Amino acid sequence: MMGGPGGQVFVLNQTQKRESGRKTQLANVQAARAVSDIVRTTLGPNSALKMLIDSLGGIVLTNDGHAILRELDVSHPAAKSMLELARSQDEEAGDGSTSVIVLSGEMLTVAEPFLRAERLHPTQIVQAYYRAMEEALAVCERIARPLDVHDRDSMFKIVDASVGTKYVHRWGDLIVNMALDAVMKITVEGKASAKEVDIKRYARIEKIPGGELSDCTVMDGVMLNKDVTHSKMKRRIENPRILLLDCSLEYKKGESQTSVELTNDTDWDVLLKLEEEHVERLCADIISHKPDLVLCEKGVSDLAQHYLQKAGITALRRLRKTDNNRVARATGATIVSRTEEIQETDIGTGCGLFEVRKIGDEYFSFIEKCKDPKACTLLLRGGSKDVLNEVERNIQDAMQVAKNIVLEPKVLPGGGATEMAIAQALSEKSKTIEGVQQWPYKAVGIAFEVIPRTLLENCGVDVVRRLTELRAMHAQGGNERMGVNGETGVLVSMDELNIWEPFSVKTQIVKTSIEAAAMLLRVDDVVSGSKKN
Amino acid sequence: MSEGGMLAIDGSRETGQDVRTQNMMAAVSIANIVKSSLGPVGLDKMLVDNVGDVTITNDGATILKLLDVEHPAGKVLCELADLQDQEVGDGTTSVVILAAELLKRGNELVKQRIHPTSIISGYRLALKEAVRYIKKTLTIPMSKLERSNLVMAAKTSMNSKIIGPESDHFAEIAVSAMQNVRTERPDGSVRYPLKAVNIIKAHGRSSRESVLVDGYAINCTRAAQGMPTSISNAKIALLDFNLARHKLKLGVQVLVKDPRELEALQQRELDITKEKIQTILKSGANVILCSKGIDDVCLKYFVEAGAIAVRRVPKDDLRRIAKATGGELVLTMADADGADEEFDPSWLGSAGEVSEERLGDGEIIYIKECVKTAAQTVVLRGANEYFLDEVERSLHDSLCIIKRALETNTLVAGGGAVETALSVHLEDYASTLGTREQLAIVEFAQALLVIPRTLATNAAQDATELVARLRAKHAVSQQDPAQGEGMQYSGLDLVAGKVVNCFEYGIVEPAISKVKSLRFATEAAVTILRIDDSIKLNPREEPQ
Repeated sequence: MMGGPGGQVFVLNQTQKRESGRKTQLANVQAARAVSDIVRTTLGPNSALKMLIDSLGGIVLTNDGHAILRELDVSHPAAKSMLELARSQDEEAGDGSTSVIVLSGEMLTVAEPFLRAERLHPTQIVQAYYRAMEEALAVCERIARPLDVHDRDSMFKIVDASVGTKYVHRWGDLIVNMALDAVMKITVEGKASAKEVDIKRYARIEKIPGGELSDCTVMDGVMLNKDVTHSKMKRRIENPRILLLDCSLEYKKGESQTSVELTNDTDWDVLLKLEEEHVERLCADIISHKPDLVLCEKGVSDLAQHYLQKAGITALRRLRKTDNNRVARATGATIVSRTEEIQETDIGTGCGLFEVRKIGDEYFSFIEKCKDPKACTLLLRGGSKDVLNEVERNIQDAMQVAKNIVLEPKVLPGGGATEMAIAQALSEKSKTIEGVQQWPYKAVGIAFEVIPRTLLENCGVDVVRRLTELRAMHAQGGNERMGVNGETGVLVSMDELNIWEPFSVKTQIVKTSIEAAAMLLRVDDVVSGSKKN
Repeated sequence: MSEGGMLAIDGSRETGQDVRTQNMMAAVSIANIVKSSLGPVGLDKMLVDNVGDVTITNDGATILKLLDVEHPAGKVLCELADLQDQEVGDGTTSVVILAAELLKRGNELVKQRIHPTSIISGYRLALKEAVRYIKKTLTIPMSKLERSNLVMAAKTSMNSKIIGPESDHFAEIAVSAMQNVRTERPDGSVRYPLKAVNIIKAHGRSSRESVLVDGYAINCTRAAQGMPTSISNAKIALLDFNLARHKLKLGVQVLVKDPRELEALQQRELDITKEKIQTILKSGANVILCSKGIDDVCLKYFVEAGAIAVRRVPKDDLRRIAKATGGELVLTMADADGADEEFDPSWLGSAGEVSEERLGDGEIIYIKECVKTAAQTVVLRGANEYFLDEVERSLHDSLCIIKRALETNTLVAGGGAVETALSVHLEDYASTLGTREQLAIVEFAQALLVIPRTLATNAAQDATELVARLRAKHAVSQQDPAQGEGMQYSGLDLVAGKVVNCFEYGIVEPAISKVKSLRFATEAAVTILRIDDSIKLNPREEPQ
């Protein structure tokens, strides 16, 4: 927008705001740091919870980085980009969303002096960052330790380390065991060792307020939030034959538009009768295969209930598709969509016990004691809904950790040891880097120290002294497993403390935080209020 | 200035020098916006729209598309960038900068009392000579394009983008993808369809883990969980009709006398689809991709046959899969007389493997080892959505560049080499003309230098000195070709701040991209220069 002889020349729409140059870059850095400051105190075992109140007055009580950031409504574009990071970390690795935010915030913070005082060109910084990322990943590769997935003890310790920072830490053993059981259950060893662990689909978490946290269990099967359709149906069946349907047991009109011309008064009766006969036939088809339990995704009409009940068959209706899929996996049944086509092989026989139980005020159906179920329900009990929600988030993270190790059985030392080792390696290597890139390269190393530093800060110990000690240890070599005991703030070897983190989570943190920082550093112009394309 | 009473218009009118100056200023301020994104050390823009969505980009066309430009001359420049984006795919920033510079210099000439038409004809003359000169002297002779040259061109285009630090990796991906989609038309001409390269974005991992999949990938999942996740020796049926309960067309009514027939009708509805599916399966198909829906009722047949069925596959994807697997998109199964339905096995496409794999938080269906390489997929990974969007745009630009390079087989040196060479040459050329166009040609020559100068400025180098050195090199090469061997490729190495032989250094661009951007920039400048009157009507008031 410039002044011309004929008055002002307006090129852009006046509602647009434009900010450019160094000011933008510094503002981006600040926004990123603001976001990372929010979640900073939730890192490590001595972390604090956050209470968030959303616009509707609902409460979220959590220390899960992603869950906190999801609730925030930020307006600065750079901050928004940071929130996206937590999301992608959560989806890709399932854990470490706090670390990723803290680390990328720090990556930008260490770049600030280069932008402000030394006037280094951002592209130089970005290139140095990418080179540092390569080295950091190499360090991870070097100090990683392989792990036997079938070794329950060591698996336990790793998941325990992840749970250690969470709210459910007090019931640590229980939660860890649940997460491990669940993941082991749903792991399918595919061909060519392509393992499949689908937590989203096959490990369902059901929360029932009431009872105690110690009542939480992983079932050998599936729980459904349903009661039988007809009160006279059996509520307990041992070794049931299970039939899964995804068609309705009601009379359904055809797709094509049809009209019937009734010329006779008796025709009306015929028509009604037809509808009844249709349902009767459906039921007859089912009954001829002698199932004990019919789970139907759609409706079951009163008439059908009657026929089924007479034949001694228990029916549940309006199941979710996902629930039906889980039951199919757990019992070995196939979902049938036309009753005429039921085959013996479609019937699931893997289940040991079907029972409807009343918990609190509601009825729940349990399909339990399955032989080798490949799907399961995790039943959570606890004082209040808010607590249960937090437990659910924690257990999700724990399962993700277990899954990551099952898929890639390698671990890295936790407690800031890996980060310190990376920092050490980068500062060592930076001496061999030619030109101005040396400084930002080294700065990446310093940024990595934010993890042990934050751990120490959250313990409330003398941060500078401890961090210097730790740095000195790592500099000596051979000490790359030295880290911080997040509870006491003492420096220990991770071999002793047994805090290990999955390789894939850690490397994902490194990659995401550096790439995201690099992206934000390259921005030198922010235009807001541009049109939607 | 509003003429008020003189001319009865409901609006304002500006004429002569005023309007020219305003247009020039609008163009310059548009150029200023994108200027800092030019070159390997250019930076990105962050654009926030009125809803709050963020776009981070370095691509001139994308920036200008998202800006809400009001000034008419500014709009011409935005459209110019868009045109370059469609025609060439890359070089959108430089074309805008060049056009603005041409306008600025043209305006100065008008102030010196040279009629715009003389300037315009001078610019046109200069353009003609420039294009001739590029073709004659500046192109890098290449009988057959080496792969390494293509990689160089791709890297040059990527260098200024977010994937610059990873350009080695992405250049290989881009070049392989484009070479694989080579198709020969029946008339013998060779095409490299850009659309045949499918780009899938999934956040997570790092950009270095982006891969080129030999085959096609679609962002869909199996219709039922009971289906296998992978099938080798796949026979693929590509359907473009609904696999649901058969439904009569709207408005067709069936009248039945006997209510019992109603039942039969319903039965038939189900059976028609069942028979269809069985015919398809009988033909040997074990992968069924359908562009429409597949009713839940029908899924069991596929599950039982151990086949993968996918519903709601985008039709464009289906067409490309058809090309890659040698299959045929089936619109209807009715044969010529419409009596029977059959599924010809020759309609089936084949692929080595079809599998569903997890990617990030979702699933993707891969169709691997297709009979032809006519379809390629690039799976992009990266920190977050904004990052991925920008990587996609950057990759798209590079793919365009490779396409152009492959189609035209000629390259020129980048890094401001062509612009400087042309500038030196056009100045000489101008002095051979004794007409008033001479002045315009000299200005055209000067305007070209804006590219190396902006490149140097963005890199925080001494632009004046660098450009002077560059000019000197080109002057030598043009006066004494023997002594200046290879000097016509001299351009800028912006990181080191030196003048280098850009061809040896690996900074190259397709010649066609340069020629087109010169053409477009000149045309745009000429269009705006011709304007000497601007009437802006007031918006009509809504009748009450």
